[in-house]
Amino acid sequence: MTVVDTGLAAEYAAIYAYSAAAVHLDGDPRWIAEELESEHRSRRDALLDYYDEHGLEAAPSLAGYDIEPIADAAAAQELLLGIEQHVTATWRAGVVTTEPHERELCLRMYGDSAVALARWRIAVGQSAADPWPGRPA
Amino acid sequence: MFTTRRGLLVGAAVLTAAGCTRETAHIITSDADLTAALHAARTLAAASDALGFGDFAADHLTHAATLERLLRPNVVADQTGELPADAAALAAAEAAASAEAGDACLTTESDYAVLLSEIAACRAAHAAVLA
Repeated sequence: MTVVDTGLAAEYAAIYAYSAAAVHLDGDPRWIAEELESEHRSRRDALLDYYDEHGLEAAPSLAGYDIEPIADAAAAQELLLGIEQHVTATWRAGVVTTEPHERELCLRMYGDSAVALARWRIAVGQSAADPWPGRPA
Repeated sequence: MFTTRRGLLVGAAVLTAAGCTRETAHIITSDADLTAALHAARTLAAASDALGFGDFAADHLTHAATLERLLRPNVVADQTGELPADAAALAAAEAAASAEAGDACLTTESDYAVLLSEIAACRAAHAAVLA
């Protein structure tokens, strides 16, 4: 499994989580969640293009992903915060690859996911500041 | 001077301790990518602080501290030039510094690719929030 495979799997899981969580949100968090879900879909599409361009076979998304039951807006916000942190950490880990095309792709996806993480933190009332986005604690 | 074996050994030890040997000296050069990242971190920290974005300034100071530690024993002098005058200019400076660190991540031959990518990602997030 390559670092791109791992990143694609994280994007699939993020799309699934946003689909399940967004309906529990209202106001600014709702529309920001919808924007971020759209970004994850765009990233998935860009990744599938990468597989096509390189003659590689992309794994399909799973029928479902394990997520905690979403009882209310607070739970939805917490779930999506964890999702954005996971996606950012996944792409950060991918940068370690020494394959140039993979590193370039992971770097671009990492930057985009760090922006998404910062936007979601602001949406749920947290500071966007983080010197090392996605670095394991 | 070294008329006995003991004298020879003592003399050799004294000369070695004094640094009077033919051992090759190594010039320790600064990593150019880390040095550039440090200059940018200091400038962005000063600008963020001056414009009231204290939490972003703290991020840049964290980067600067890490880069200074990695560059030791070299000490990189301050080169802070003209600072961005407003939030829009700071966002542009953050974006430019993010691109610089990202380029360095892709071309570096050192072990610091992930570090440079982290700095690039952090700056990209700042730029997006400020824009």
